[in-house]
Amino acid sequence: MAQTRRSFLRNTGIGLLTFYVSGCEVEMTPQEARERKVAFGVLSGTEVTTLDALGEILLPGSSAAGLSHFIDHQLGASIEDQLLMIKYLGVPAPFAPFYQGGLAALNGFSRAHKSQTFADLSQADQTELVGQFAQANPDGWEGPPGPFFYFVLRNDAVDVVYGTQAGVESLGIPYMAHIEPPSRWGE
Amino acid sequence: MNVPDEKVDAVVVGSGAAGSAIAAKLAVGGKKVVILEAGPERGNDDLVSSAIWARRLKWGGDPVIEDGENPVGHVFNAGYCVGGTAMHHFAVWPRLHAEDFQSRSLYDEGADWPITYDDIQPYYDEVQEECGIAGDAEREIWRPPGDPYPMPGVPLFAQGEILASGFEKQGMSTAPLPLAVTSTEYKGRTPCIWDGWCDAGCPIGALANPLTIHLPIALKAGAILAANTTVTRVLTNASGEYVTGVEYATKTGEKKQVMADLVVMAAFSIQIPRLLLASSSDEHPHGLANSSRTVGQYIMTHPAALVYGIFEEQTQCYMGAVGGQLVNQDSYAKNTHAASGAFGSYQWMIANAVKPNDLIGISNTRPDLFGNDLHDFMKNSAQHFATMTGVIEDLPVAENQVTLSDQADAHGTPLAKVTHSTHAKSKALWVAALAEGRAVFEAAGATEVWTGPQVAMHIIGGTIMGDDPQSSVTNSYGQCHDIANLVIAGSGLFPTSAGVNPTFTIHALTSRAGDHLLANWNSIIP
Repeated sequence: MAQTRRSFLRNTGIGLLTFYVSGCEVEMTPQEARERKVAFGVLSGTEVTTLDALGEILLPGSSAAGLSHFIDHQLGASIEDQLLMIKYLGVPAPFAPFYQGGLAALNGFSRAHKSQTFADLSQADQTELVGQFAQANPDGWEGPPGPFFYFVLRNDAVDVVYGTQAGVESLGIPYMAHIEPPSRWGE
Repeated sequence: MNVPDEKVDAVVVGSGAAGSAIAAKLAVGGKKVVILEAGPERGNDDLVSSAIWARRLKWGGDPVIEDGENPVGHVFNAGYCVGGTAMHHFAVWPRLHAEDFQSRSLYDEGADWPITYDDIQPYYDEVQEECGIAGDAEREIWRPPGDPYPMPGVPLFAQGEILASGFEKQGMSTAPLPLAVTSTEYKGRTPCIWDGWCDAGCPIGALANPLTIHLPIALKAGAILAANTTVTRVLTNASGEYVTGVEYATKTGEKKQVMADLVVMAAFSIQIPRLLLASSSDEHPHGLANSSRTVGQYIMTHPAALVYGIFEEQTQCYMGAVGGQLVNQDSYAKNTHAASGAFGSYQWMIANAVKPNDLIGISNTRPDLFGNDLHDFMKNSAQHFATMTGVIEDLPVAENQVTLSDQADAHGTPLAKVTHSTHAKSKALWVAALAEGRAVFEAAGATEVWTGPQVAMHIIGGTIMGDDPQSSVTNSYGQCHDIANLVIAGSGLFPTSAGVNPTFTIHALTSRAGDHLLANWNSIIP
């Protein structure tokens, strides 16, 4: 699929990422990747299920917007092309252990306090647990610091929902991508 | 481009504001120049208008280990591509004040620079004309002497008008923020469209970054630019009296050397001391240019004072420049808040353009909110949010420093470890500024006012200039006291941080250094 600047700008925000489908490179947004059930490269099925459930508590709509595919895709990206905000939050690359450790800690915390994995809890229980680890490491939390994990994942959810052109415009404000000037300076 | 095998006149390490400017100066002056950039090449087409894609411009090189109570936020504040950190800088270009250069003499705090304002003023004026700054010198009542701005001040949007009323009600002044951004067509550059994407890099040439200004000049004059080229060591002759070039690693990891009469280190405040310390030898057991043992010391940043508010009016907070629309320097006198235990200067960058996401986006002003509460906050704030940022002076502290870690990168170069804890008087100044900012927002009619945590903005120091070779690394031109043909350029030279953004001063110092090097070339090179 050829990607022109015009088509790119239409999808500005997260934009088109290159996913692998049946051995071929296909450019699509994380939301499209989710809709087409593109296979995950780094995260396990359990991790994806947990991440989707967490995303819906942090910012409803983020799962459908492709949160898991965005994170999974970026966990395979080089540090210099990295698009996740964790890049500048002091965590050394690679970032997969941070995400996987946090999701495992969340499920461990959930089982210890609610006897179920996080994704199987009611929305009220999920919200209660998020409220707890967002403030401080709860008893039995074994993973990256809970408040930091909350901060990072919350930002990822905001990225896929409000970091896109459609997301910005859903707030009633224009996206205002740089226009192509008639004659770019220096050319 | 390929790095030449033959010896060149000058090798410049880093292609950011300082590196591109010194390369242009030397190349136009007839010198054969090679610029080595560790990061990848990113052209204007790569500067996508997106807070997410903008992250590619941030540091992506070797990890920097951060320590101390108030880390400098290296990845966020540094750049990693051709054009360096300046590719994502906000282009807020105020001048330092005369007292900034004499802080120790006048106040017995901080340090003196080896130059005065009078020494640098001609270079501020020269750079201002070359790069273009929009502003209003008459309304900027705090501004030191200098030529008027070559472009009219930036336009005012609703957010700026609202906050200006708050300053006015408090008996304070505002003026258009001096921005190195085109408010009109300037030297063939198109005017800014005020879309608030400065942080993502400016692809239309409106913002004075290296891709727009100095790299084209350098390349046209014959300079060679090599991206994905990581310098691993500065080389000397056998006796260690002078430098002979640098060792570098290609993207594939192959180690090579380029020899030069002059080596200019312009790789920002953390990597320069790292490389000098890592280039130790029998002749320089504490690292190159470090007989003073001050290499790496006096790392500073600007603690940002973040003030947020919600107003009944529509604020158009997505419009304008990320740096802001207006400036206030009423509290620039260094003892303004002495009664609060504070020392130093600060300015307000007023009415910053903001986008919904990212570290400096609307969503992170209330990190406590999630779920539908966050949705509600975002919908309201997109229409009614306003903000301003205080640039707080950070007193120099020797213990705030870059040292070498016991970890190394893939090339065997020890990683940098940077420790930073804000001086108590600077922290007190940050607190006083926030109180002032709250009062301004309340006077402007905000229905809600809140403030952000202390975060680091800019990285300064680490290889400070001075008159005394026993307490500084370089002279006022950036020449190392120990090695005359080893030159440092950039904010690492600043002995104090002042209370304004550093890039204009980086350019003025670099221009001054370039003139000096060209005029004294034969006495400087071995």
